[in-house]
Amino acid sequence: MAVTGTVAVEASAAVVSRAGRWDTTWLLWIAVIAVLLVLVVSPFVYLVLTSFQAERTGDFTLSNYATAYGRARYIDALFNSLKLGVGVAALAGLFAIPLAWAVARTDMPGRGFTRMLVLATFITPPYTGAVAWILLAAPNAGWLNRFYMFVTGAEAGPFNIYSFTGLVVVIALYSFPYIFIFTTAALELVSSEMEDAANILGAGTWRTMRRVTLPLALPAIMGGLIICFLEAIALFASPAMIAIPARFNVVTTQLYQFFGNPVRVEVAAAYAMPLLGVTVLLILVQRLITARKGFATLTGKGGERRPIRLGPWRWVVFGYAMLVASLSVFLPYIFLVQSSLARAWGRGFSLDNITLRNFDFVLFEHTTAAQSVINSFIYASASATAAVLITLGIAYIVTRRLVPFAEVLGFLCVAPFVIPGVVLAIGFYAAYAPPPLSLYGTALILILAFTTRFLPIGYVNASAALRSLNPEMEEAVRVLGGSRLMALRRVVAPLLKRSLLGAWLLIFIPATRELSSAIFLYGPNTKVASVMIFDMSEEGNFEYLSALALILQVLILPLLWFGQRALGRDFMLRRTAT
Amino acid sequence: MKILARLAFVAALALAPLSARADLKALEEAAKKEGEITWYISHYTAEGAEDLGRAFTKTYGIKVNVVRTTAQVAYQRLLQDMKNNQTICDVFSSTDLGHYARLKAGGKLEKYIPESATKIDAAFRNFDPDGYYHPTAAGQVVLTYNSAKVKPEDTPKKWTDLLDIKWKDKVSTGHPAFSGYVGTWVLTMRRLYGWKYFESLEKNKPQTGRSINDTVTALVAGERLVAAGADGSTLFSASRGNPLAVNYPTDGSILMISPSSIVRGAKHPNAARLFMEFLYSIEASEISVKHFGIPLRPEVAGAPGTQPISKIKVIRPTVEEVEKGIPEVIEQWRDTFGN
Repeated sequence: MAVTGTVAVEASAAVVSRAGRWDTTWLLWIAVIAVLLVLVVSPFVYLVLTSFQAERTGDFTLSNYATAYGRARYIDALFNSLKLGVGVAALAGLFAIPLAWAVARTDMPGRGFTRMLVLATFITPPYTGAVAWILLAAPNAGWLNRFYMFVTGAEAGPFNIYSFTGLVVVIALYSFPYIFIFTTAALELVSSEMEDAANILGAGTWRTMRRVTLPLALPAIMGGLIICFLEAIALFASPAMIAIPARFNVVTTQLYQFFGNPVRVEVAAAYAMPLLGVTVLLILVQRLITARKGFATLTGKGGERRPIRLGPWRWVVFGYAMLVASLSVFLPYIFLVQSSLARAWGRGFSLDNITLRNFDFVLFEHTTAAQSVINSFIYASASATAAVLITLGIAYIVTRRLVPFAEVLGFLCVAPFVIPGVVLAIGFYAAYAPPPLSLYGTALILILAFTTRFLPIGYVNASAALRSLNPEMEEAVRVLGGSRLMALRRVVAPLLKRSLLGAWLLIFIPATRELSSAIFLYGPNTKVASVMIFDMSEEGNFEYLSALALILQVLILPLLWFGQRALGRDFMLRRTAT
Repeated sequence: MKILARLAFVAALALAPLSARADLKALEEAAKKEGEITWYISHYTAEGAEDLGRAFTKTYGIKVNVVRTTAQVAYQRLLQDMKNNQTICDVFSSTDLGHYARLKAGGKLEKYIPESATKIDAAFRNFDPDGYYHPTAAGQVVLTYNSAKVKPEDTPKKWTDLLDIKWKDKVSTGHPAFSGYVGTWVLTMRRLYGWKYFESLEKNKPQTGRSINDTVTALVAGERLVAAGADGSTLFSASRGNPLAVNYPTDGSILMISPSSIVRGAKHPNAARLFMEFLYSIEASEISVKHFGIPLRPEVAGAPGTQPISKIKVIRPTVEEVEKGIPEVIEQWRDTFGN
């Protein structure tokens, strides 16, 4: 009797205290929701509103649209972007699909090595790739052209990076990992039984691949191609470095012009609409395609998966993989290193051309370069931390259905995925740069923008992880009188440590090199490394540029190593990464 | 009485420099309290700008945040800063004179006449009679070439030589929508030869970078052979052993006198003033000469191999021409060259 009494008393005390904590927990939920409104909804609303506002008065007007589409040059830029996207997706598919098939389904030698090289490609920022390819394929001085002239004795080489084709190649080389990730993920699920069936019916290896394996993975491949297309049309760095000398514009460089003098945010907002529209549309298409999950290859049966024996052909396939890797990793890095150690990159490999001056200059003499690298790392870690915490909270609300319409919150978290970086930046600029918030030139506006940009990565990871967690454990906390917050802090977070760390790194690494949203939001004291590199490229100092780009790459390596140790070697190349 | 007056006069003469020096001393003290300045600079290459900033820090212990970009980018940033009430730039050094005319008219500049304004070469004095902006760097746009790949006799001697078909795919220029040097050059060419000059140049498919200093890289790499470049950055690179040389065009090199001014509402007004004084110092002129700029102080001799502007034909557009003309030629350029 006495025992029950105590329990009853304790239980009622727990009820009281839980009710008390409920309030604070609710406050936290409201805060998380408010944060989401600030990060996602408001910039988007401002973007749309601004595009209809007159510059000074703020009156409703359509004149921004008239200005934005009022010149043949501006319209050309739109079509250039579309062509660029299609070209990049097609070429990247050509690079990625054979590689993905070889790595996922065959006995090609060096599969792990190939994966590693794809990872190396994946972590090379687009502007670093662009700088390297300027060194390789500048029409007269580029190394590939010089080599060609040396071998053939010709007057001129065939490659010209400063051209539309050049731009397509450079972007495709550094965005094909997206298709690779999607395709390998799908191919690894195809069981060998289907291929066996084709073989038994008389089809050879190639025919089986063409008619059975690849079609099964087709939805995933299409998904990858679409992501690649979107990546290409939203990219700012490579076009800025290559399209300006090549003398054409794409949407992003045109947007940069509207942000030039005088700053016409309103026109930029109006001009950003097609980019936004195309992205939203294609993401919907992509979701529709991938939602079909192929042709139900994911059955409950544990289908056996054996690598396909390629015989002597495996060396041919390996050769192709190495060719792609040469173009995206080996050659670019060789010449980046050469240039970073050269007095003048064009003078080539000779002892009297070697110097450490470039590193000395960017690290010690330049007043802002080293600081910009530090800024990048600080902002990236702040954004990664914020994004992980916010998405964990929201994923928790959504999976545990703590508030009505929780799905809306989940949707808002992944929505930034359809907003290209430059467009997002324009929205942020319109919403937060002017008073009352006056965040212009502050670190905060960059951190907020980066956080928003990478919310989808955080959310996808957090909700996948939470779904694997049985609610019983939290219920135990609640039964014992702990608040939800306590359950989250003491049970959920520790259990998900690993996934959260993974998400943190997946956000942190791209955030350290983010340029397209930073370019409109940085101030003189908040310059990040990517903007620094872009500024340096104005003067064409490829020696300094290479040095700074390499420093940035080297600083990422320990994190990558750590991530691989803690989370598995392919942690960046999994489907959840994109 | 007369003697007394004379004595007073002599005393005043003796004291005048002292009082100026005392003012500078007070300025220095106030500046040191502010501790730093932010300098938007397009007069020099990144290295030249960093050299000057470092020298100032060494002398006064005041940090200089050097923000080196092309003129139009610097101006755009400044306007954007101002529009958002975040004026971070203290000293603004552009190569587009029009910027100063517009900023002054808009009341965005701080009036300040450096104590040492009278010590610079007479040619540079009294640039803005109202004292809002003051020339702090000078250079020229000239014909430049890769001396390892082009024989001196084959090099372009006047601006119209760049239109020769033999330079097809061999010409390098900057972009007027970025570089103030290039903008002024384009404006001057339009005045001399009309816009058809650029319609012809376009047929030679020049490679257009952004900064005029990009032409140096293009020439050194052997990517391009001839260029409309800046004498300073080209000769500086040549002095490091790169195969570069300049021709002063017979139809006139473009003299670029580039001012600096203190931005109204600057967060470090005293440090900014001290920095303006510093830009007129002998030391600053020496650093400028190291980077093959034209020294402002008569005590400092020009860099070896450079021609004094009194010996060559130079053209210099007026502030009014630049103010009106550069925005026009940027649009014309984009129509002709595609972006």
